[in-house]
Amino acid sequence: MFGLEERALVSPKEMEERSRLLASRGLTVPGNESVILGFFEEERLVATGSLVGNILQGIAVDRELEGEGVAATVTSALLKKAMQTGRRQLFLYSKPDEAKRFEALGFTLLATASVERTGLGASLLEWGSEGIDKWRAAIAAKAEGGPEGAGVAVVNCNPFTLGHYRLLEYAAARTPRLYVLVVEEDRSLFPFEVRFRLVKEGVSELKNVVVLRGGPYVISSATFPSYFTRIESGEEERITELYAALDIELFGRYVASALKATERFVGTEPYCPVTSIYNRMMKERLPKGGEGWPPVRVHEMPRFEMEGMPVSASRVRSLIREDRMEDVRPLVPESTWKWLVSDEALPVIEKIRNSESRH
Amino acid sequence: MNGVKNSVAGSLESSDVLVTVGPAEGAENTLDVESIVFKQFGARIRSVAEEVMAASGVRGADVRIQDRGALECTLRARLETALERALKA
Repeated sequence: MFGLEERALVSPKEMEERSRLLASRGLTVPGNESVILGFFEEERLVATGSLVGNILQGIAVDRELEGEGVAATVTSALLKKAMQTGRRQLFLYSKPDEAKRFEALGFTLLATASVERTGLGASLLEWGSEGIDKWRAAIAAKAEGGPEGAGVAVVNCNPFTLGHYRLLEYAAARTPRLYVLVVEEDRSLFPFEVRFRLVKEGVSELKNVVVLRGGPYVISSATFPSYFTRIESGEEERITELYAALDIELFGRYVASALKATERFVGTEPYCPVTSIYNRMMKERLPKGGEGWPPVRVHEMPRFEMEGMPVSASRVRSLIREDRMEDVRPLVPESTWKWLVSDEALPVIEKIRNSESRH
Repeated sequence: MNGVKNSVAGSLESSDVLVTVGPAEGAENTLDVESIVFKQFGARIRSVAEEVMAASGVRGADVRIQDRGALECTLRARLETALERALKA
């Protein structure tokens, strides 16, 4: 495509034009963009695309220019921007009926999901052709020779508490083997390496438990961006449902099948709206199975309580924030406690005290 | 040669090719070719890429080629540019 002027969009007027263009193609404004590009034909915005971290999103082309290869121009420009920042693993969200178009440009379709109630649908694709297969083979290798009918729990453990321990103990007692996938995205107050280590140490006495890194396809900023933000409006709730549906599809298709898992374990979530939407969607969808993956039973365990209060990581963080370390002690296993009072924990505790983050 | 950086050249537009280069996992070069005309030209694209990579002296690079029907001269130009950028100190 010749003659289109590419530039980053900044002014409120340009942003408004972009919103209109997105809306005219049935797309919403992604939010949290790091790069927003516009393509102009004589000062008229005819195409746009944006980057949200390592995700290409909000790609729209004016109806009049459809079929002229403008989507390829936009996608190329976004790929270049993303790779300039050193990212090689890139994802793309599109409407389900447009996924094919991006597959033709070299993306691989990972999953498509839709929510009937709201009529929303999305496809998640990744750049290149090797990512998901390599990753799935790597986790399948961990399950080689392992039993059929295994269980899975996906946990953030920010940090690992007795509540998590009880859930995993319950799950381990009901499955031949339990895989614990620790969310790898480093957006929580406790860094991933610490969360991972505390889970491993915390479950070391449960012999049939295998702790694995969650990787880029299990509740990551690519597969479930709204997991890491707050829900503030009805619109965000609808979008969270959609992301949850995509994450569940990915789980069934790539994770459950690779680990020979038929059971998934979750804790009830009375406080966090995102997690409670996610749990509800899992209970609706996993038992039905999907194309190419068998049904997965969902076991929801009531939150473990002590003295009438649920034992949760968010409560532990509140207590740390209020400098009530003596009240933290009974809520966490010995391994977590030892870490919390070590020198290594000082910067994390400092960060918690200065933060209001939900995670 | 160590220190292969991420680089890009070309585009996904029709009759062009997008070449991306980054550090490979090991010391060997890796090459991934995708093309809309893979059946007819896949082998040729691969051999041109291997030749250009060898000539550049690059080691430990992961090269991905996303071909949209580029002519051979375009492919060579994109490859050379991407490799030069990847190896620039």
